[in-house]
Amino acid sequence: MKTNRRNFIKVSALAGGGFMMAIAMPGSAALSRMLNNGQAELNNFLTIDTAGNIVFKLTKHEMGQGSGTGLPMILADELGADWSKISLVRSAYDPKFTSREMGTTGGSSTIDKMWDVLRTAGATAREMLKQAAASRWQVDVGTLQVANSEVINPESDERLSFGALAADAASLTVPENPPLKKSEEFVYIGQSVKNLITKDVITGKANYGINVEVEGMVYASIEKCPVYKGTLVDFDDTEARKVSGVLDIIPVPQMMGAVEGHFVQTGVAVIAKSTWSAIKARKKLRINWDYETKGVSLPELETRLTQKAEETEEAIFERGDYEALKSADENEVFTAAYDNPYQAHALMEPINATAHYKGDSCEVWVGTQSGERVSREIIKLTELSIEKITINVCNSGGSFGRRFYADSTMEAVFLSKELNLPVKVTWTREDEISHDYFHPYQKSIFEAVITPEKKVVGWHSSITRTENYHSGSQQWEIPYYFPNVRTFFEFEPSIVHTGAWRSVAEHSSSLGRESFMDELAIKLERDPLEFRMSLLDHEITRIGTDSFADTVYNYETLLNGRYKEVLETIKSKGWYTRSSTPGKGVGMAIENFGRTVCAHIAEVTIDASTYNGFKVDRIRSVVHCGTVVNPHLGLGQIEGSIILALSALQYGGVEIDGGRVTRSNFHDNRLVRIDEVPEFDVHFIPSDEPPNGLGEPGTPPLAPAVLNALYDATGVRVRKIPVLKEDLNTFQTTV
Amino acid sequence: MASFQLLVNGQQHSVDVDADTPLLWVLRDELKLHGTKYGCGIAQCGACTVHIDGLPIRACCFPIGKLAGKNVTTIEGLSEVGDHPVQLAWQEIDVPQCGYCQTGQIMTAAALLDRNPSPSDEDISRAMKGNLCRCGTYPRIKKAINEAAKTRMS
Repeated sequence: MKTNRRNFIKVSALAGGGFMMAIAMPGSAALSRMLNNGQAELNNFLTIDTAGNIVFKLTKHEMGQGSGTGLPMILADELGADWSKISLVRSAYDPKFTSREMGTTGGSSTIDKMWDVLRTAGATAREMLKQAAASRWQVDVGTLQVANSEVINPESDERLSFGALAADAASLTVPENPPLKKSEEFVYIGQSVKNLITKDVITGKANYGINVEVEGMVYASIEKCPVYKGTLVDFDDTEARKVSGVLDIIPVPQMMGAVEGHFVQTGVAVIAKSTWSAIKARKKLRINWDYETKGVSLPELETRLTQKAEETEEAIFERGDYEALKSADENEVFTAAYDNPYQAHALMEPINATAHYKGDSCEVWVGTQSGERVSREIIKLTELSIEKITINVCNSGGSFGRRFYADSTMEAVFLSKELNLPVKVTWTREDEISHDYFHPYQKSIFEAVITPEKKVVGWHSSITRTENYHSGSQQWEIPYYFPNVRTFFEFEPSIVHTGAWRSVAEHSSSLGRESFMDELAIKLERDPLEFRMSLLDHEITRIGTDSFADTVYNYETLLNGRYKEVLETIKSKGWYTRSSTPGKGVGMAIENFGRTVCAHIAEVTIDASTYNGFKVDRIRSVVHCGTVVNPHLGLGQIEGSIILALSALQYGGVEIDGGRVTRSNFHDNRLVRIDEVPEFDVHFIPSDEPPNGLGEPGTPPLAPAVLNALYDATGVRVRKIPVLKEDLNTFQTTV
Repeated sequence: MASFQLLVNGQQHSVDVDADTPLLWVLRDELKLHGTKYGCGIAQCGACTVHIDGLPIRACCFPIGKLAGKNVTTIEGLSEVGDHPVQLAWQEIDVPQCGYCQTGQIMTAAALLDRNPSPSDEDISRAMKGNLCRCGTYPRIKKAINEAAKTRMS
């Protein structure tokens, strides 16, 4: 067994002959130690058998973002593998194999964070295979080449397959610093390789959590308290028990999670021989709830958010003297407030989990973005040690942040423990919408101080966001430079569960910021594109010496170049010109998510015959994400992000009455359908830089781009989504 | 509870369920045919689309008690090895992202091409607007249907 201490790679012989590489994910100190001590279990990260079959273990979650294809592409490229020989196994969550951070999938960080790991792993294996061939042929390893799963001696034109070399390679010393390919040598990276999931999907064989079958399994459906934090008083299940197939009816307590502040809503679970029996019986339960919090309605929350924004006195970031400029008589203060409401996830595959608690062990099957969180919740509920817990990670039918939370696992484990049986919990669509972990509500108030020379010298933002436990970070930083800046950021307790939603805080913040930029530009009679560019063209200076100042400095430096490049591209393509036709409009917005910068240019037409009074004709996008690993899958992510954001813009938000979410299914939580999809034109800026994420960056700038286009078309400024037909009425009555 | 006979993908089955049980749950929980997906239960999303006597039907709202004498085709029975022209086009265009809704999309698309071999873009939109896709694969669904129409004609 050979270990490379530096890269935490261990190579050994595969049972039955061949090559097996185990690898410690970065950040896993415990695992690195175990590897070095020879204690770590072999984790088959990469195996090559003597027939040349290559199996790659997928440690990240596939939920539609395409990482299950992008990751093996990176590995296969460095390895020099024949793509058709690569197959994938999904790794169960195992803390011995992966660190907390690397065991979580989210933040569009998968390709970004795995890039170096996979290239090093692939290059290491490739060099070992080459060395094995060099020894066999008695030639200098430096003369050999690798392609299509073969090591080639160009002198003699001899070839040896990976399969023929695998066993020999496994006995060699692991190289310390294997050379990485140059970008011009890439074979798969940058190509539109097809999604590995497709074949199983089109034949109906893809393995989603909702399809899990365990021998002896029973089916559960839970009627949850309709109001956040409400409690169960009592219930009458006489009629429900008469439904055929019903096995038991059990109260589910409010369960506090291992993650602070997280809890699972109380309810009553129907256990049955089939999902349908459980769903049918639920409707016959008579339950008395106590709405302890006396359920808050949405308008009340909106008032609280505004109040909090107005009361906030302590700035989280300040530069210059905003207040002095604001109170100077000659200056004008321009202000606007924006609302970005709660949004439902509406995943096509409703939330579910299957658990089998066996007293001394527990096994769970679930589609999850965080096996690590799932493991913590199981440990808390069962008091079992991690070694006694098996977490099988299934495909997810969409996630967008929702499956980061382990609530359905908690329900399934609780019920399995109560019943001593394997239990599958399936949420109905109604559960999924009305008990969602909603994208938080955010109110953003912006102010600008304008001098008599029409120069913006001060920028103030005041952001208030609902929050109850981790549902994504705050985002307030701006890419534009103003000499005087003051920023307030406050949290207001949420009145419903909240969670991460595609692009998290960036979606919440972008709407206001990029709308306000448009408002400012137009007020100053500047072109909105040129106005943005003018505010990026400055020396980036470090203010202060503390770590917070470093964060701001690094952020500005890193992104400034990409913002400029994206805006320059829009300009050179001539993609943004305001409309001169009433009823037609063009609007733009730009935002970054992580290091990826994305701008959208929206083209709209006012059309009273549509549900919202307008239609989006075309979205043009410019994206800078470094290397695009797979343009086909990357384009799909941008288009998908736009369509998801368009649903939020046209039909999003949720109504909450006395604490009850009153939406329940796709008839009232509408989503964009195939006949509403705009034309797309997406341009990726060519780059050799390491790849950054593409799953989320397309979402944030969509809403402000469309709102700005609607203003361009109508002169009516809409500052809240969803956009309602009546919002545009003032325009429609005047034409 | 009663016994019902049903013909699914050319095979006869007998199940003991209530007459109001939707075909969806019979397929999924009794016959373990998991290709047909639960999405909404109210015929709003199309994830559960199957063919009943060749017509695209939302299985979540079709009670088993009304199925007598009818012929059901699910994604598992659309072709032997996944080589129905619509499935091939879905592979060629590489439509899926998460994939959950795609079996329903494929069943709706296959039924569309059976009755309209060369649909216009408008025909496609009209036929497919009952099928939701949260990942937003709609542009590729349109392309794939056009592709399938082409290969069927040739």
